[in-house]
Amino acid sequence: MLLTPQGASRSLAAVFTPIKSRGLVDEVCGRIEQAVETGLLTSGQRLPNETELAAALGVSAVTAREALSQLRTSGIIRTARGRNGGSFIADDVLPSRERALDQLRELTRLQISDLGLHYQAIAAACAGVAARRSDAADMAILRSFIPTADADPLHWRLALSEFLLEVAAIARSARLARELIRLQADLGTLTLLPCADSGYRATTAVLLEEVAAAVEFHQPSAAEAAVKALVTATTDWLLNEQSKRY
Amino acid sequence: MSETTASPGTITLHAGELDAAITGIEGRLAAWAAETGTALAALSAKVTGTAVDKLIRPVVEELVRTPDGYVAGAGFLANAGLLGPERSYIAWWQGEELEHVDALANFSPNSISRYVKSEWFRIPVETGQAHVTGPYVDFLCTDEYVLTFTHPVFCRPDGPVAGIVGMDVTVQRLERGAMPVLRRIGERATLVNSDGRAIVSAASDIAAGDLAAAEEGCSVYAVGRTFRIWSGATAL
Repeated sequence: MLLTPQGASRSLAAVFTPIKSRGLVDEVCGRIEQAVETGLLTSGQRLPNETELAAALGVSAVTAREALSQLRTSGIIRTARGRNGGSFIADDVLPSRERALDQLRELTRLQISDLGLHYQAIAAACAGVAARRSDAADMAILRSFIPTADADPLHWRLALSEFLLEVAAIARSARLARELIRLQADLGTLTLLPCADSGYRATTAVLLEEVAAAVEFHQPSAAEAAVKALVTATTDWLLNEQSKRY
Repeated sequence: MSETTASPGTITLHAGELDAAITGIEGRLAAWAAETGTALAALSAKVTGTAVDKLIRPVVEELVRTPDGYVAGAGFLANAGLLGPERSYIAWWQGEELEHVDALANFSPNSISRYVKSEWFRIPVETGQAHVTGPYVDFLCTDEYVLTFTHPVFCRPDGPVAGIVGMDVTVQRLERGAMPVLRRIGERATLVNSDGRAIVSAASDIAAGDLAAAEEGCSVYAVGRTFRIWSGATAL
């Protein structure tokens, strides 16, 4: 295929876009925030000291100190002085409704729907391949991620993202799986909001079963359609909620 | 048998090369498990994270830096009880840069739940035998499509499992070694795991990760403890 002049200049522009690298300090902060987000580090827990943190992550003590200071400023950790002193994960950092609402307020409708489309494209691609490659052991694991009706919003949110990651695992494509993880990080705590709604939980419970059945019975197009519906349910809920706030 | 398939004698020879490579990995792992068990036993009651790192890291360094080696990452994971009740410990490094995998997990009080249920940890602990997991997408370490070879570590022959040692072999690296061998065996020759899932295939319509079946009457060669080469395979 011939590249149009416009197409060629577009790809060249991408090549020469400046690379914005996150500094090492930001990287360390990102790791700790992610560990809190996934529940690996929990509120009130003592963090390793500068030296231990630096050794574990392979950075200099200066970088570790700056990262701890940045985390303190953003309220993710608190520092206590004295004999039992040290840095601790702050008490209110758990994925909270307040944080999620803040995040929703900062987004435009365009950003939400565009993020939804990207998420849908990747998750549906995973589901299509998973439906070709699934075996009985895969299905047992996948179904274990379907939450029970009485699960709380936090649990529901975790189960939904883990379920889709498991679909990616069944697809056995490392690239698609990595992209899905990145998109889930972009969505952040936002997905906590619909999970507090029992109507949304009921809808998604049905869709999770549909996805699982399509993956189990090797029906790629049905699996893709069900995953798309699952992501649409989330995006629609967020768009609705956002429009109430204008 | 199709015309493009080599004679059985030549096939056995070629398959033998790949078998030697995989058996080599399995043998090295078993020896490492034994050395680790002896060294941990010598530490008596004073098993600490620092002591474990000091024991494991040099071996990992040697493994991942072997030229043309298959190992992308390796390490040791403690079973509950070794460093303390319910205490986990991950001493795992990957890549030439020896990136410490999941380093923050060692500071978490509940990190043992991150790996106790994983196939690569659970099965060697439950059976007391070596195990190979995959190929699968490894979210915890490499984010790559890998095979994880694991082996239980015992401090005493009759004691509880102290932990596991393991090695990650990426399918990408394995493909570079296996593809020439498979092509010499035949145009549909395929290396599969014990579930019949393709790891590397010479057939263009079988991708790594696809389930495959042996063509009727095709030859089967054992590779390592659990893999097979089918001289002819069909996509399912």
